Amino acid sequence: MNSMAALWASIAIGGLAQILLKRGVSGRTYFSKLPSFAWWTGLLRSGWLWAWGISFVIATGLWLVALSRIEISYAFPLLSSSYVLVAVLSKWLLNESVPASRWLAMVVICAGVILIAVA
Amino acid sequence: MLETKISSRPRAGLRIGLAEVALLGSIVFAASGHLLIKEGLNVAASATMREAIGLRILAYLSQPSVFLGLCVYGIGTLAWIFAVSKREISYLFPLTALNYVVVAFGGRLLFGESIPLKRWVGILVVVCGVVLMNRSSEGRAE
Repeated sequence: MNSMAALWASIAIGGLAQILLKRGVSGRTYFSKLPSFAWWTGLLRSGWLWAWGISFVIATGLWLVALSRIEISYAFPLLSSSYVLVAVLSKWLLNESVPASRWLAMVVICAGVILIAVA
Repeated sequence: MLETKISSRPRAGLRIGLAEVALLGSIVFAASGHLLIKEGLNVAASATMREAIGLRILAYLSQPSVFLGLCVYGIGTLAWIFAVSKREISYLFPLTALNYVVVAFGGRLLFGESIPLKRWVGILVVVCGVVLMNRSSEGRAE
């Protein structure tokens, strides 16, 4: 597999995994500060959580494939593009409202990650 | 209860609730887990280069620091799941960039690695973004 394709696939699937996780834990409310033991074991019966786990494993595998060929200093800043992907998907699929200030904060964080990677 | 009190104050500083503490915990635990796993793999890899893959994986897992690292990493994952249950994902996920900050400081404290000036600037920019993100949101809570 082309290693750049593996890298982008890893980023996309890793981002999608976060959406699956959020979908899986939403609507399972608990009314104290901390979730109960039953809440945790309930997650094991959620298809969303299993989908999250599987995509997490696939994304990690693809990431390792990509890193075996691509320098980590090049790959890391690209990883921060998944913040934007997750925000777009969360707006589209989970109806999260993403205010302008949050987009701005995202851009600043991405810029910082790029600076750290090139330093 | 504490959280509602803090958030009803008009924009006074950072808002740090249980979810934010869990997020930081998940970052620190994941980073420490990675370090432990890496250390154990270094030991096991040199000893088992020629073994079959299944035997090698067993040898890796029998390394105490690999096993411990996986447990620590698992605790970090549970903390992340808890945080995700409390906050919007478009708010939380970019905050995981704090990982780079934690790793930079960890490298400095544990291995005496120097942090070049450019990286300090990057760390500062990430932290500014994290503060902006923290203050960004009405409707942040679940």
